[in-house]
Amino acid sequence: MNATGLAELFFYSASMWWVIIPAVFIGILMGAIPGFAAHNTIIMLLPLTLAVDVDVALTFMVALYCASHLGGGIPAILLNIPGTGGAAATTLDGYPMSQQGKASKALALSFVASISAGLLTSAVTLFMLQYLSQVGFYIRSVEMVVVMLFGLALIAAIAAKDMIKGLIAGALGLMLGAMGADHIYATPRGTFGILELFDGVPLVPALIGLFAISEALIMLETRTVAPAGAARSMPTWTQTFREIAGAFRHWVLMIWTSLLGLVIGVLPGAGASIAAFVAYQQARVFSRTPEKFGTGHEQGVVAPEAANNGVTTGTLVPLLAIGVPGGSTAAVMMVVLQFHGVPFGPRLFVQDPLLAYGVIMSMFVAYVFMLVTLFPLTRYLSRITVVANYYMAPMIVAFTLVGAFVPRNFMADLTIAVVFGLIGYVARKTGYNVAAILIGVILGPLLERSFLLSMRISGGDWTVFFSSAIGNILWALLAVTLLASPSISLLRRMRRKGDIY
Amino acid sequence: MTKFTKRTPALIGRRGFLGAAGAVAAAAGTGGLFAPGRALAQEFPSRNIDIIIPTGEGGGADRDARAFASVWGNHLPTNFQFGYYPGAAGQVGYEFYMSREPDAHSLIFANLGPEVIMLALQDTGISVGEDIVYIQQTLSEPMAVWVGPSSPFRTLEELVEEGRRRPLTVAVSRLPHPASIGMLALGEALGIEIVLVPYGGGNPTAMAAITLEVDCAALPVTNSIVLDDQSLVLGIFADENVAPDGTDNAPTVNAALGTSIPALTSSRAWGIHRAAYDAYPERVTRLKESMAATLADPAYVEAVEGAGVPSVFIDPGDEAQAMASAQATIEMARRYRDLLTGS
Repeated sequence: MNATGLAELFFYSASMWWVIIPAVFIGILMGAIPGFAAHNTIIMLLPLTLAVDVDVALTFMVALYCASHLGGGIPAILLNIPGTGGAAATTLDGYPMSQQGKASKALALSFVASISAGLLTSAVTLFMLQYLSQVGFYIRSVEMVVVMLFGLALIAAIAAKDMIKGLIAGALGLMLGAMGADHIYATPRGTFGILELFDGVPLVPALIGLFAISEALIMLETRTVAPAGAARSMPTWTQTFREIAGAFRHWVLMIWTSLLGLVIGVLPGAGASIAAFVAYQQARVFSRTPEKFGTGHEQGVVAPEAANNGVTTGTLVPLLAIGVPGGSTAAVMMVVLQFHGVPFGPRLFVQDPLLAYGVIMSMFVAYVFMLVTLFPLTRYLSRITVVANYYMAPMIVAFTLVGAFVPRNFMADLTIAVVFGLIGYVARKTGYNVAAILIGVILGPLLERSFLLSMRISGGDWTVFFSSAIGNILWALLAVTLLASPSISLLRRMRRKGDIY
Repeated sequence: MTKFTKRTPALIGRRGFLGAAGAVAAAAGTGGLFAPGRALAQEFPSRNIDIIIPTGEGGGADRDARAFASVWGNHLPTNFQFGYYPGAAGQVGYEFYMSREPDAHSLIFANLGPEVIMLALQDTGISVGEDIVYIQQTLSEPMAVWVGPSSPFRTLEELVEEGRRRPLTVAVSRLPHPASIGMLALGEALGIEIVLVPYGGGNPTAMAAITLEVDCAALPVTNSIVLDDQSLVLGIFADENVAPDGTDNAPTVNAALGTSIPALTSSRAWGIHRAAYDAYPERVTRLKESMAATLADPAYVEAVEGAGVPSVFIDPGDEAQAMASAQATIEMARRYRDLLTGS
């Protein structure tokens, strides 16, 4: 596609501003409320999207999808409640920043990282779609096992602060994640006969319980999220723009973590949660100040937010390039394409290239619109942290319990959310990290699935995990990742003691 | 004061809104006292029809149910609300469906092949006929074995030849599935080892075949037709290939390999609680009539073709036919129980 074609496509997508702007605001709002993730919202609005032209429908869905990933980071930073699984890693440093009275700065970092990642990955996808679609040929179940282990390595990082408690929390998460029907014979395990657990521990109620409900209980112990001494006045416009400009200092980190998110997004079955966990862990490993992660470190906000927005573009690649949706949101988009009788996969590029490339361009344009509309919001949103907690806590519980119910419409999911809330509360009060539990709940089933598929394909031969070149490279990188941090710390300690020079 | 009086008048002011709200409330209240309200309550459907789909959104069942509902609304004046309950090979969706009020406003859109096999093999406590009745069949399609565009196998014979040297890995949606039975029967007939790899859905199964993670995939044939040039159909488990255009004119498995495997199909059908079937016969009749009218509507053919499904797979069947399809599937599941359950 030449420059004129691209410009034409850009202005065509921009002409949909009347769809993009409401979609962005709905997406941010829904992304910010746990349970109302993009695909649920898109399903709820399906009658609307089926009633309009297919290009309008796709633009609306794509803009809403991107915005929901960005929205998920807002409560993660302000209230320690990730709006989506992909924002769980953002809580690790975003919330400590809010507690230090730096909510506005954390939001600026999140918005800049998210929007930059979205712009970069949609531009890359526009030019390299066919190459990206090949990623699936190289990363299959065997390699996915290693990718999941990269994410799980974050448990080890969290455990570094308190090894026993960190590992116990991670193991508990993995055990909870192993509940439900097994992936091969669909035999229920650890469900106690409860139907609602047959498909495993539902992510949204677990996330709401571990983060939102437990946090609401903790919040009641203090007056506000921000410390008593934090600035009560709203940041000035100059301060706001300085913070936004300052966020661009992390541009290198933004670029590589967003590309990491893009690649993980292309993989079927992977998603924003994995990307964010892996990006956070890798950013920590390659940081000059790994010890600051988890204490309100700027890089700890940038990495997961860039990665989970990089995923948004990647998820659409299998649908566009092959015709198979890579995730639940892409699956719903496929329904809309089918309803309108529009082909997908390679045929879409032959029969309707404007629509095919338009999907990606509308993603790019949606991020441009977010750039304009959202940056000023950092100034106002940060004020949430000075709202009295006795107002916030009941609102959080009410909104998030609705969110726990929405995805599956099971009343039992409210109970599951409350039970996880109590687990989360006890964990927090006793020094166990709830993020480590959640990592186990999210990644455990995915790891088990990839492991069982690999073993089934190989006929039970475990050497299959070392049978591919890409897999072996990933194993080596994983080993480097796990050993790098303790090795560097050891060298530094020895250097301080004067044992080495 | 001037500030307020000069503002642009709203379409509905505060007083107007409150007045209208009061009138609506009064109408609703008095309406409840009079017969017309009660008379309306007798009408069916008196609320939205809930459609339970025991698989995920965006899958084949979703596609076919939506194609049907897009025309059904012309014959049954109500709205259709979709709910997706995947998990445990469809068991979650069925158990959830059974927990719904049996008043004929909740229906399940079934994929008779895999789901009836699941009900026959898993300990669900749900029995076809005693707990659930399939009242209308809509589509039927055969199972197919197919490969991705980069696969080294271009014919079924080549695939089987490879199978004589080593076990063949076959991606399937789930183990309790007619396509799985087809591949196991093929392996049994030719003395080759088939390793079924369940990916938990049509889309991931297709991806496994396209990316060459497995040797081939076995799925309902529409999955490969929809994928167009991303799939190459090697064989069909049927007596004849009724959709040669979309399937690269693939041979039937029996014709290509000289086997005598029974035709393996999966039919879509609307299911209803037995309790609702017995308690509300007039509602069931209304449902059946509107479903039959939908199937006879040319707009339905357009909707099916628009969704990428060949219209030749439209297979209207009444309750007797749908239940007979289910019964045949149960018998097949019993025959292959050991292979499907790993026992």
